[in-house]
Amino acid sequence: MNRTVLVVGALIAAAVVGILFIGLGKDPQKIDSPLVGRPAPHFALRQVGTNQIVGLEQFRGRPVVLNFWATWCGPCWEEHPYLVAAARANEQNVQFVGVVFQDTEEKIQQFLQARGTAYPTLVDDSGKTGIAYGVGGVPETFFLDATGKIVAKFDGPMNTAIIQENLQKAMKP
Amino acid sequence: MKTRLLAVLLPLVAVLAIAQTQTPSAAPAAGAPDAEMFVGAPKGKPLTGKELDLRTYQVGGLLRCPVCQGLSVADSPSEMAVNMKHQVKALLARGFTEEQILDYFERSYGQFVLLKPKFQGVNTMVWILPVLALAIGVVIVVFKIRKLEQPPVAAASPSVTPAGEEDPYLAQVRELVRGGRK
Repeated sequence: MNRTVLVVGALIAAAVVGILFIGLGKDPQKIDSPLVGRPAPHFALRQVGTNQIVGLEQFRGRPVVLNFWATWCGPCWEEHPYLVAAARANEQNVQFVGVVFQDTEEKIQQFLQARGTAYPTLVDDSGKTGIAYGVGGVPETFFLDATGKIVAKFDGPMNTAIIQENLQKAMKP
Repeated sequence: MKTRLLAVLLPLVAVLAIAQTQTPSAAPAAGAPDAEMFVGAPKGKPLTGKELDLRTYQVGGLLRCPVCQGLSVADSPSEMAVNMKHQVKALLARGFTEEQILDYFERSYGQFVLLKPKFQGVNTMVWILPVLALAIGVVIVVFKIRKLEQPPVAAASPSVTPAGEEDPYLAQVRELVRGGRK
């Protein structure tokens, strides 16, 4: 009896330790997006400061970098210059699009006037587009290939190296 | 007269129809991604009034607020959760079922968004392990109780002789105790 109890106890303990090891080895903030590998959900949103509606379909045929951000988000300020620089450097091949999440038009315009931009910035007033893309905390960036399929997603602020690394995936034929 | 009228109208209609198909749309209509594209047409009945509010709270209670610590969408006051609650309400009002709504959110956020994990993959452990642990505990308790209820083995008792007579040493002790009481 004692031996059996010991073996069963050891097996249960090993299973629990194994599960904990797998769980603790993962970064809880990094959740794989189920959207990677799927077609990007279509949307058409108003461009900030205008009444012009810009739809994702308009950019079909070239890779798209879709960046969800907000002016109240510190890391978004941090990555903005890298995004603008990358958009300028890849102007001919890649379309960058910003989608502002849970913010006010006035603050967005102030931010863009002060810090500059090189691509359209759209306003997600209802938050529905962010929800369809599974956005939790900004910044979150999706990389779409020329067919409109999501090939990569990055959570958090990006720098030039991260943008280029993910762009390579989006630009693969 | 009718023939003349038709002769005038038909080419006009044809021209209009061709123009309609060939004119590029100046701008797409504004809109967020629609749930119907991902989970199909609504399978339930559209809800209104108090029933809609109640179901919104119930379905929101099954979804995790992505920016909160262990709070459901129904209970969180964050803007993110409020947006998600509005989305749930709008979908229920259109007749989407609870299953369709959960599928829609899971499609965007993954299983992380479901407060009640699905019975599949590694998640099965979440359901199986507590039941298994309980069953093992019950077996151990039952085993121990049975063992305690077993009468002591006769041969092991030093107070009774094989013939069933009392141990002389014990009889002597009893005698002494009785003598002491007197």
